[in-house]
Amino acid sequence: MKKQFPIVPTITALIAASYFLVPLFATFYFSLKMTRGTLSFASYQSVFGSPEFLASLLYSTLASLAAIVMGAVIIVPTAYWVRLKLPRLRPLVEFISLLPLIVPGVVLVFGYIRLFGSNSFLPLTSSDRGTDLLLVFGYVIMSMPYMFRAVDNGMAAIDIATLTEAAESLGASRLRTIALVIFPNVQAAIISGSFLTFSISLGEFVLPSLLNRPAFGPYLVQLGQDRAYEPAALAIMSFAFTWACMVLMQMFANKKPGQRLLPRRKTP
Amino acid sequence: MTFLSITNATKSFGSNTVVKGFDLVVQKGEFVSFLGPSGCGKTTVLRMIAGFEAPTSGRVVIDGRDVTDLAPNKRRIGMVFQAYALFPNMNVAANIAFGLKIAGMNKSDSDARVQEMLKLIGLTHLSARYPYEMSGGQQQRVALARALAPKPQVLLLDEPLSALDAKIRVSLREEIRDIQRQLGITTVFVTHDQDEAMSISDRIVVMNGGRADQIGTPAEVYNRPATSFVANFVGTLNILKAKVTDLGQRRVSVGGMALQLLEPIRMPSSDGLVSLALRPEALSLTKDDEHDGTVEGLVTKVNFMGSVIRIRMNVAGEQINFDVFNNPRVPVPALGQMALAHFSSANIFELSA
Repeated sequence: MKKQFPIVPTITALIAASYFLVPLFATFYFSLKMTRGTLSFASYQSVFGSPEFLASLLYSTLASLAAIVMGAVIIVPTAYWVRLKLPRLRPLVEFISLLPLIVPGVVLVFGYIRLFGSNSFLPLTSSDRGTDLLLVFGYVIMSMPYMFRAVDNGMAAIDIATLTEAAESLGASRLRTIALVIFPNVQAAIISGSFLTFSISLGEFVLPSLLNRPAFGPYLVQLGQDRAYEPAALAIMSFAFTWACMVLMQMFANKKPGQRLLPRRKTP
Repeated sequence: MTFLSITNATKSFGSNTVVKGFDLVVQKGEFVSFLGPSGCGKTTVLRMIAGFEAPTSGRVVIDGRDVTDLAPNKRRIGMVFQAYALFPNMNVAANIAFGLKIAGMNKSDSDARVQEMLKLIGLTHLSARYPYEMSGGQQQRVALARALAPKPQVLLLDEPLSALDAKIRVSLREEIRDIQRQLGITTVFVTHDQDEAMSISDRIVVMNGGRADQIGTPAEVYNRPATSFVANFVGTLNILKAKVTDLGQRRVSVGGMALQLLEPIRMPSSDGLVSLALRPEALSLTKDDEHDGTVEGLVTKVNFMGSVIRIRMNVAGEQINFDVFNNPRVPVPALGQMALAHFSSANIFELSA
């Protein structure tokens, strides 16, 4: 029997895709119209030519990378220990990891200001470096639901308990087991979590704005208020960047041990 | 020479005691199997030797050193797991070299030892492969080589063949035994498969409900089971209810057939009945000089399988099964016919509780 062409699913998919792609195309088209009468990349050049853009991007990139390292150092051993020794506590830890999705960022940052303000026992907000540290803490908290889930899923994919026992039976201490066996085997998951952390931290507005830090999120908002075409160019670049992160996440997630990330180029 | 001893070991998880007063002495170079059904405590005892479970009470001594409170990574044991547990991020050579690296062995010595191990398991050509690129049997060979590479004091095998298909299981168990003999390493093997335990062990520990019901050579366990659990768990058994007619003279009656047992009758019930057991291979359709007992029964099943004929008979209300070799000169009994099964009373043993 001849298989019928799936008309309804195709139309549904096209409508859904156009709901997403039409505004994206409109934004892209608008971003090219900075120079009157012609289509050009002038808005993109303007963005890249702005020293504030580069400074805020660099600042947010560094803060995001610091948040990734800190998050991995906190979350990997926690997820490992909970899976290995405290499996009964997993639902509680999962709930705690989801709290940043429930508690708004503004509550978190006011909490920080109250706890670490100039009158507190640890006045981190009194100095720029201290406030930077608070911002990184905030990024770690905000990205915790994504990082924890990515790492926990990575650990679920391998038999943590048996691998730990195998390493211990061969004389490895717990620390060496984590460093030589567990960490390399959840590397793909950590990288996935890192990309998510990076994309969330990079565009985050509330935390740096209320902590008064020169990050990329507040710059984006400010630019949106002051200019017309550059925000559209930035929106398109953000999309491209997020998609690149997603592609890299997929590549790392599907990479098997011993395989290269990209296939080796064939020599003639 | 005693190399490994477990003394009065007990393990409880909350109110559930899974190992109860377990005692075992293993000689150097001996291959001992823990055999029993799921939940009998065999893996828990193995894990107590490895150090992954701390005994609630009792001691574990390896080579004269009390290791009860020693961490697993300090015990110098090699362990092979049911799920292989090869490190997915490392290739075969790196997996085997892992224990050597941890021990601080230099690169050239480590490489030489890895090659030696690869030769031992016959996988020198696969040293660069990753676990996901190998079959289950190959992975388990690598796991064995990895466990043996650092020259452990004791090799522990936790159902290493359970995840493999039947053919590989048989060949690999013979390989494990050959390697164990070659290296002379003291080995404890956990299995729920009686054929496996029988074929490769120096001694078998049959476990039931957290206790060792019997510890003995495969022949002792099979031919003289200490408890009815052992008798039923190890091999197939035919049980005949017999009436004791003369306790002192060891005379009993089975379905009206008088028999004299070789061994004294130990435990007749209040109504004078005893449970007698016969292995299927002890029964025959033809009578020879050794056969001093015969039972008559109704043939309820005949399976002709070429070289072997499997027969089931109903003797005084009890089902007995036995296999006989196909002999064209001996007619196969027909279904529903009365037939005689002959045996030697020397092969009968009484089942205790």
